[in-house]
Amino acid sequence: MAADTRSPLQLIKDGIVSDNTIFKLAISLCPAIAVTSNLKNGFFMGLAVMFVQTMVNLTISLMRPVLHPRIRIPIFMLVISGWVTVTDMMMSAYVRDVYRQMGLYIQLIVAFASILAHAETFASKNKAVPSAFDGIGMGAGFMFALVVISFFRELLGKGTLWGIDVLGFKPMLIMILPTGGFLAVGLLMGFFNWIESRYSGKRAGGH
Amino acid sequence: MTGKDIIKITLNLVIIYVVGGFLLAWVYATTSPIVFQKTKAEKEAALKEMMPDAQSITHEGDWITPEQKHAGFYAGRSGDAIDGYIVETYGKGYSSYINVLVAVDGEQKIGKIKILHHAETPGLGDEVEAEWFTKQFEGKGADQMKVIKGETAENIQAITGATISSRATTNGVRYALEMLKEKYGAGTAAPDAAEMPAGHDMSSMGHEGAATPGAKGAEMSQPEVKK
Repeated sequence: MAADTRSPLQLIKDGIVSDNTIFKLAISLCPAIAVTSNLKNGFFMGLAVMFVQTMVNLTISLMRPVLHPRIRIPIFMLVISGWVTVTDMMMSAYVRDVYRQMGLYIQLIVAFASILAHAETFASKNKAVPSAFDGIGMGAGFMFALVVISFFRELLGKGTLWGIDVLGFKPMLIMILPTGGFLAVGLLMGFFNWIESRYSGKRAGGH
Repeated sequence: MTGKDIIKITLNLVIIYVVGGFLLAWVYATTSPIVFQKTKAEKEAALKEMMPDAQSITHEGDWITPEQKHAGFYAGRSGDAIDGYIVETYGKGYSSYINVLVAVDGEQKIGKIKILHHAETPGLGDEVEAEWFTKQFEGKGADQMKVIKGETAENIQAITGATISSRATTNGVRYALEMLKEKYGAGTAAPDAAEMPAGHDMSSMGHEGAATPGAKGAEMSQPEVKK
């Protein structure tokens, strides 16, 4: 497969819109539901994923000269788990209140199919700078999805945003329970598909 | 795949993993002292918040709750006199053990409580953290630790729809008070430092340079818990 020729800006745009991990590819939905019960957690989880994907892409792209194709998967796994561990250690040292709420889910980033997919299909075949932007794009899309989901879940479920009381009452408490998570993800996915089909004139979905 | 290939691949993998291992070890060495210091400071701050007037708070010992959870307890001192105790306790709730810190004064009455950790139902059981609920405990004793569904000033009013979580918190607090009573005897305002309750081991006290009981008896100017 030839090297990807998209511009950095296009890479970021695609990561947020056409190749959005949550709303378009519908993978890594587990954290999309588990850590989005409030806005702060959703935001920092998105940030952590963006950091990991970008650094993993960069590292693997720079390692291309020593990457033996037969053992590339174990090497990808080392790079991914290494960067996730670094992120976990740094969060537990520097943003402790967020870390306490997210705990296990940061370490679960190692299991994200999307990180391995980007490493395999993009970073191992492209130069460092485009690879970094692919990571930033994927991360931006992930963060956008998580922020939107947790915005609605916290606002409707608790009446607050980022911990600050906004509504003064709790319209739909179920939104902060897992059921509400599934509802939010499904409805938002449908909503974004509808927008896309209206404004681009092509049929979205079909999966 | 030739033997040469296998060697090349193995070497490649080993080198990359060793380098990765060193890099991770470096990050760990840099961040773990920070984590350790911050955990320690947080714990001390939580204890200080429970007894702000105590000059020093020391770990007195550990105990096991009636529900088989291991927990610690601390003494808050000003000078040599013990102002009161802070007990960590657990109560089995609806979907988790509710971890509570209880500050107890010299008269075995509750100073304040703080919910450290729980995993009760959001919107229902998590109301145990609400100020109106935790404030109820202040000034009460072990015999008042009963949950009533409805308004009560004497006991603990349950959270509507979360009786189990309310009971769990109340039980945990009661276990803590009962443990203190068993260890140090029924607390009274009258100080009597010369007498030691049976089974209390002085060597387990965390207080450095502990004064002898005789000296303690001589300098009491404020009520202290019977030792």
